[in-house]
Amino acid sequence: TQEEGSGTDSMTTSERVVDLLNQAALISNDSKITILKQVQELIINKDPTLLDNFLDEIIAFQADKSIEVRKFVIGFIEEAVRTAWLLHPGAPGCNLPSHCVDSSAACWAAGASPDRLPLRLQEIIAFQADKSIEVRKFVIGFIEEACWLLHPGAPGCNLPSHCVDSLPTGCSSWERSHPTPCARLSPAKGKGSMEASCAVPGLLASPPGGPRASLARQRPMFMAEVIQAYETLHANLPPTLAKSQVSSVRKNLKLHLLSVLKHPSSFEFQAQITTLLVDLGTQQAEIARSMPNLKEARKRPR
Amino acid sequence: FSKRGFIVRSFGTGTHVKLPGPAPDKPNVYDFKTTYDQMYNDLLRKDKELYTQNGILHMLDRNKRIKPRPERFQNCKDVFDLILTCEERVYDQVVEDLNSREQETCQPVHVINVDIQDNHEEATLGAFLICELCQCIQHTEDMENEIDELLQEFEEKSGRTFLHTVCFY
Repeated sequence: TQEEGSGTDSMTTSERVVDLLNQAALISNDSKITILKQVQELIINKDPTLLDNFLDEIIAFQADKSIEVRKFVIGFIEEAVRTAWLLHPGAPGCNLPSHCVDSSAACWAAGASPDRLPLRLQEIIAFQADKSIEVRKFVIGFIEEACWLLHPGAPGCNLPSHCVDSLPTGCSSWERSHPTPCARLSPAKGKGSMEASCAVPGLLASPPGGPRASLARQRPMFMAEVIQAYETLHANLPPTLAKSQVSSVRKNLKLHLLSVLKHPSSFEFQAQITTLLVDLGTQQAEIARSMPNLKEARKRPR
Repeated sequence: FSKRGFIVRSFGTGTHVKLPGPAPDKPNVYDFKTTYDQMYNDLLRKDKELYTQNGILHMLDRNKRIKPRPERFQNCKDVFDLILTCEERVYDQVVEDLNSREQETCQPVHVINVDIQDNHEEATLGAFLICELCQCIQHTEDMENEIDELLQEFEEKSGRTFLHTVCFY
């Protein structure tokens, strides 16, 4: 194999992979799996650019007698698909299997270098127009996590544990040292494609609603953008939706808006939110119940 | 549902368990700690004839053979694939509760409402409809992408309108 690398490190990794693959081909005991796992670690996590070079060699192990080795190959292919997706954007029509997109940790890993993060964000956000609900759901979750991470929280707004778990270690320092990704990322990024997001089946309008509502509550600086996104969605429901699908979407919008309204920071946007809620058929009494306590809101430091 | 192979659980969403009483404005109210057996004995003591005639004792007798006491959805942290409600008010409570929880695994759960009137006849018909719906959902190749179309088919077939959303754990 002709190996190409930009530096000594990648050459070393490549040579190491060749060596390990040769060892794995010669032995027939349990340590074959251990060696193949090392290969996977080197290719998937250390230098994913080697994937193209060695994919065929690893797939060849599918003919191995051991079930465990064959299982490993399947697992490797899944990891490879995920990695390839992150490395090679530009095919938003491709449906990624849901099990390959269920971990945003892989995305963070791909964008782990702060220099690459803006590029990765653009690529990942582009997938919001994907046909698959799984992919869109994943993208929305990713945007949510990124917003949480990259923007400082208001007092009392804690990062949800699922975000903490999936974010790379030490990345909170990006906020201070890398303002570019922060500036590029806001709920408005996904807003344009929100209609595309719900254009296929009706229910798809609802999943973006939840993260937006929780984003508005956790990062009130985005309140205006989130409410504008709701207004856009409300005014642009796809005409292809069936009557009951429209009811479901409107009900979801209503629930999410009420949850945003309950937040003290919604104070400045109450008129907008109330108008939207009335349009969605909410009773005045129900709106009044969700109004935050004005005295408390005024006491809150800005 | 159990007989047809589904792993199923049932819940209430209100603050109390309410059973019909001698008049519409006089329901029998219990908290969720009360066992079905205690409710059965209480109603048996209050008016055996009335509660036998309206089927409440029969229902409680059946319930106590399934589980000791009713459960409240909001207090249950178990994860489900599909949640079915039979009243819009309950659907709202379920969705509101799921949305208010902190997301941990991002595992999706579909919530579907099928309006069913709260009487024995409608409950029986509704149970068959919901069971058929579950079987169809179970046989989809890609549930996430096919469920909308399936629900529309069922709406046309049954003449009922469904509410549907996806929440995440």
